[in-house]
Amino acid sequence: MRDPNKPSGGGRLLTRALVRNRGRLAAGVVGTSLHQVAEALVPVAIGLIIDRAVATGDGRALAISVAGLALQFTVLTLSWRYGARSLVAAIQLEAHRLRVEAAERMMDARRQDTGMRAGELLGIATSDADRMARLLHFVPAALAGLAGLAVAATTLLRIDTVLGLGVLVGVPLLVVLTQLLGPTLTRRAASQQAAAAETTALASDLIRGLPVLRGIGAEEHAADGYRRSSGAALRAALGAAAPSGAYFGVTTAGGGLLLAAVAAFAGWAALEGRISVGELITVVGLAQFITEPVRELGLCGHGIAVCRASAHRLATVLDAPFRLTPGDLDGGDATRIELHGIRHGSLRGLDMTVHAGEFLGVVAHDPADTRALLALLAGRVPRQDYEGRITVGGVEVERLRLDAARRTILVEPHDVDLFEGTLRSNILLESPDGAEDGDTEAVLLTALRATAADEVARAHPDGVDRRITDRGTTLSGGQRQRLALARAIAARPPVLVLDEPTTAVDAVTEETIAHGLRQARHGATAPAGQATVVVTNSPALLAHADRVLVLADGVVAAEGTHAELVATDDAYRKAVLR
Amino acid sequence: MTADATPTREGADASPSSHRLLPIATARATLALVLTELRAVRGMALVALLVSLAANTCALVAPWVLGLLVDAVRQGTDTTHAAWTAVVIAAAALLGGALTALAFTLLARTGETVLARLRERVVQRALRLPAPLLARLSAGDLLSRVGDDVAVVAETLREKAPMLISSLFTAVLTMGGLFALDWRLGLAGLCSLPVYAGALRWYLPRSAPMYAEERAAMGERAQALVGSLHGVETVHAYRLHRHRLELVNERSAAAMGITNRVFRLFCRFGSGMNAAECVGLAAIMTVGFFLVDADVVTVGATTTAALYFHRLFGPLGAIMTSFNDVQSAGTSLARMAGVAAIPDPGPPPVARRPADSGVEIRAVGHRYDDGPIVLEDVTLRIAPGERVALVGGSGAGKTTLASIVAGLITPARGEVLLGGVPVEEVHPDLLRRHLALVSQDTHVFAGTLADNVRLAVPGASDEQVVAALAAVGAHDWATTLPAGIHTEVGENGLRLTAHQGQHLALARLVLADPAVVVLDEAGAEAGSAGARILEHAAVAATEGRTALVVAHRLQQAVGADRIVVLEQGRVAETGTHTELVARGGRYAALWAAWHDGERAEDAGQVSQQAPA
Repeated sequence: MRDPNKPSGGGRLLTRALVRNRGRLAAGVVGTSLHQVAEALVPVAIGLIIDRAVATGDGRALAISVAGLALQFTVLTLSWRYGARSLVAAIQLEAHRLRVEAAERMMDARRQDTGMRAGELLGIATSDADRMARLLHFVPAALAGLAGLAVAATTLLRIDTVLGLGVLVGVPLLVVLTQLLGPTLTRRAASQQAAAAETTALASDLIRGLPVLRGIGAEEHAADGYRRSSGAALRAALGAAAPSGAYFGVTTAGGGLLLAAVAAFAGWAALEGRISVGELITVVGLAQFITEPVRELGLCGHGIAVCRASAHRLATVLDAPFRLTPGDLDGGDATRIELHGIRHGSLRGLDMTVHAGEFLGVVAHDPADTRALLALLAGRVPRQDYEGRITVGGVEVERLRLDAARRTILVEPHDVDLFEGTLRSNILLESPDGAEDGDTEAVLLTALRATAADEVARAHPDGVDRRITDRGTTLSGGQRQRLALARAIAARPPVLVLDEPTTAVDAVTEETIAHGLRQARHGATAPAGQATVVVTNSPALLAHADRVLVLADGVVAAEGTHAELVATDDAYRKAVLR
Repeated sequence: MTADATPTREGADASPSSHRLLPIATARATLALVLTELRAVRGMALVALLVSLAANTCALVAPWVLGLLVDAVRQGTDTTHAAWTAVVIAAAALLGGALTALAFTLLARTGETVLARLRERVVQRALRLPAPLLARLSAGDLLSRVGDDVAVVAETLREKAPMLISSLFTAVLTMGGLFALDWRLGLAGLCSLPVYAGALRWYLPRSAPMYAEERAAMGERAQALVGSLHGVETVHAYRLHRHRLELVNERSAAAMGITNRVFRLFCRFGSGMNAAECVGLAAIMTVGFFLVDADVVTVGATTTAALYFHRLFGPLGAIMTSFNDVQSAGTSLARMAGVAAIPDPGPPPVARRPADSGVEIRAVGHRYDDGPIVLEDVTLRIAPGERVALVGGSGAGKTTLASIVAGLITPARGEVLLGGVPVEEVHPDLLRRHLALVSQDTHVFAGTLADNVRLAVPGASDEQVVAALAAVGAHDWATTLPAGIHTEVGENGLRLTAHQGQHLALARLVLADPAVVVLDEAGAEAGSAGARILEHAAVAATEGRTALVVAHRLQQAVGADRIVVLEQGRVAETGTHTELVARGGRYAALWAAWHDGERAEDAGQVSQQAPA
C-alpha cells in the first residue's frame, strides 16, 4: 500500500504536489497565462482604439475596435474560466489526497510517534492540507503573472527599447523592495493570528465549562480572564496593523513612482514625435497594468512561504516513525496468553497466564499496575520498552502481525469513544463482511441484552437506529459504557480485555451486566475457548470470574476465586467490597 | 432500581422541546450594536475614513495628468510637459502611498478595536446569561456564536473590510471623475452597472445554498476526522483503520465535489463581470469617439476616461466577489448581536443577604414546559450544617430539585429560601459565594491544574491550592503529574480521567468555601479503585457546610444526617438511614434490593459493611 518514493521533508511534498498534478496544472497555467496576456492587452487595445478611431474619427475603425474588444474579452474570460477551474480542481484534489494520507498515517496500527495531540493533528489534516495545496494556486499565478509581464515587456520594447528595458529592470526592483517588508509583516501577522486563535479557544473552553463556572460562581473571574486574553489579542492586532499598512503604502507608492518614470520617458518620446499618442497611452496603460502582476508576484512569494510552513508540518506527520515493529506471523487458534518476568512501568517481574476459555478477574492495589498491564495487552508498548516475554498461543506477540494480535486480543479502552452513526453501527463495528443479516441482528441483540444496553435503545423511539451525534457526548456516561461493552461482546474476540467496565452504572445494572457478560462469553451457546480478562474492583464482576489475580507491588500477590479471596485476604476484602 | 448514573438532567428527557436556540438580532439591532461600538472609537474611525478618501483621491491624479499629456502631445507642446507630468504623478504616488499606509493602519486599528469590544461584549453576556435561560439552551448554539461566528466576523473585518472600503471609495471617486470629465462619459461608464447588477442577481441566490452545502460538507468531513483522531485507541482496538479511512476519504471527496461545483458557478459569475467591463469600456470609447468628433471633449479627456474605467476593474471585482463574505459576516454578526441583546435582569431591586446557611424549600412544584409534572409540593427545611441526601429512582425529580435549590431553574410553583431570603432576592454575586453546586458536568479548563482549582478564587496561593487538593485527597495523584500542580491540563494539555475531573471539582469547592453545597453526581463513578476515595472526598468537601446531596448510589445516602426519598416528584419518606430501614417503606425496599445485589456477589461471606 505504501508509496515506494515516500516523500520526506516539506520540500519533497511540494515537489510531489507539482508533479502529480501536472496535467491540470499545465492546463491551468495555459489558461490563466492566456488570461493575463489578454488583460495585458487591454491597455494596448485602448491605445489602439484612441489612435485609430477616436483620434481619426473613422467610423469603420470604431466598429472594428468594438468588435475586437468584445473578442478580446471573450478570450480573456473563457481562458480564465477553464484555467482557474482546472487549478481549483487540482488544489482540491491535492488537499484531499494530503488529508487522506495524513489521516492514514495518524491512524496507522503501528502507532505514530509525533507527540501531538488530537487537536493539533486535526489542524494538520485540515488547515495545513488546504494551505499546502494552495501551492497549486501560487505557482501558476506567478507563471501567469510572468506571462502577462512578458507580453507587456515585449510590447514596450517594440515601442521603445529604452522604455522597455527600464520597465524590465524597474519592475523586479520594485518587487524586491516590497518583499523586504515581507518577513516583518508575516511575523507580526502570525503572532496576531495566534493570539486571536487563543482568545477564540478560550471563549469556547469557557462556554463548554459554563455549568461548572456557574456552579462555583466563577463567571466573573472567567470574564476577567477572557477580557485579558482579548486585550492581549487586540494589542497584537494593533501592533500588526502598522506593518501591514506600510506594506500597502509602499506597494501603492512604488507602483505610482514607476508610472511616473514611464510617463516621463514616454511623454518625452511622444512630444518629440518618436511614438504616437496611441503608443503613449499603451505605454502608460501597461505601466499601470503591470503593477497588478507585480503585486501578484509579491503575494505569491508570501503565499509560497506559507505553503512551505504547512508542508513542513505535514511532513512531520507523514515522516514520523512508527513505534511498533509488526511481525509477520498470522498466529493460530490457540489463545492462551502467557506473561513471563514482565518489567514495565510499575510491574516488577510479573508472571501470569490467561488460559483458554477462562474468565479472569484482575484486582490491583495500585492502578499503575493495571495501567501497565493493559498497555502491554493492548500492544501499545514497543518491544524495547519492556522486559520479559509475552506469548499468545506460544508465539511471542512481537512476531505476530499487528492485525492478528489485535484480532486475538481486544482491549476495550476505559475512556469510551463512540463514533457518529447509530447505536447499531457503533455496536457492529466490525460486523463480519460475509455474515447473514439475521446473524448480525442476533449478535446485536445478544450483545445489547448481555450488557443491559437494550435499555438505551428502548429509551428512544428509533431503538437501535437511534442516531449518535457528536461522538456520543449526548449520552450519559453509563449509557456510553454499556454501549462500549456491547460492541466488545459483539466483536466476539478470542480474548476480551475490559478495563473497569461498569464504573458508571448502578449496582443492579452491574449485576445484570456481570451475569450477561458471563453468559455471552462463557455460556452454553458461546464459542468454546473464548477468554475474558476483567480489570475491576467490582465484586459483582469478580464473583462471576473463574479466577481472580491480585496485583501488588508489580507482581501477582494472591490468586483464587472471589469467594476464597474474600474469606482469606483482608486487603482484598477492603479493596473490592464497598 | 436503586439509583441511576445518568448524567443527563432528569428533566431533559421529559421535555424534548426544552432545548431552545438563542435569538438572532434583526438587521437594525445588529447595526445599532456595531454603531454603539464604533461610537467608542468614532474619532479614529472618522479620521480613517477621511484619510482613505484622500488616499483614493491621489490615485485619480495620474490618469488625469496623463490625459492632459495626450492633449499636449497632440498640440505639440515642448518636452518639459513630460517632466511636469512625471513630477505630478510622482508627488501623487508618494502622498498616496503615505496616505494609503496611514489609512490601512487606521482602518485595521478601528476594525480590530471594534471587533475586540464586540467579542468581549458577547462573551461577557454569554457568561452571565440568566441561569434558567442557560439551562434550556442548546450548548452547541452558544458555543458556535462565541467561537465560529466571532472568527468569521474577525476574518471579514481584518482581511476584507479595509480593502472593501478602499474599493468603494475608488469606485465612487472614479465614477465622479468620469462625470467631472464630461457627463456623457460618466453615463457611458454607468452603462456597465446593469450588467454588474445582473451578474450579481444571477449569482447570489444560486451560490448561497451551495455555500451552505459546502460548509455542511466540510463540517461532516471534520466530524469524521475528529471522531477518528479522538477515538484512535478504539480504532486500533477494533482494527477500524480501513473503515474510518474510507469514511474520511468519502467525506473529504464529497466536500471536494461541492467546492468544485461552487467554483464553476463562480466562474460564470466572473464572466458576467468581464462582460460588464467590456460593455463599459466599449461605451466610453464609442461615446468618446462621437464627442471628440463633435469637438465637445478632447482626445486626452477620452483617454483619461478610458484609463479611469480600466482602473475600476480591480476594485469593482473586489466589491462584487466580497458579497458572499459580507453576507455571511452579517449573519454571524446578527447571531452575536442576538446574544448581546438578551436583556440583563441585573441585580434584584432588593438585594439581600442570607441570615445563615439554612435552606428552606416551600411547596415547590415544577414541570418543563407542557411536559409531565416533575416535582409536586415539595417542602423541606435543611438546618445550617445539616447533610441531607436525596434518594429516588430515575425520573423521581432529584436533579430538578437540586437545580431549583441552586437557582438554576426557577420553579413553576413555590419558592426556595436561603437563610430566610428567597433565592432570587439574594444578590447574584453573593449567591455563588454562599451556595455552590457541583453538577454532573465535569469540565477541565485549559490551563494548569492549579488554575483549575483556583477557578473561583483566582488570587489563591499555590499553598492554598495544594491544601484544597489535599483536603479531598487529590494531592497524591496531582504530585505524580509531569509538572505537579503546574501541569497543563484540559483541551491542549494532559487528559485527566473522569475520576480526576470529579476530584478536581471537589477541590475547587473546598477552595471556594461556600456555606451551602449542592452535590449532584459527585462520586457516581463507583465500583472502581478510586470510588471510595471519591466518596471520602465528597464527605470531606461538604464537611462543616449545609449540604444537599443527590444520592445516585445508596452508599452516598447512608451516612447523611437525613434522607429524603423522592418518588414521582413527591417526598415519599424522610428520616435517617436506620429509621427508614426500620420503617420498612420505599427506602427499605431500595436498600434491600441494593443490599441483596451486594450479598449475592459476596457469596454470603461478609455481613453488612460499615458505611464509608
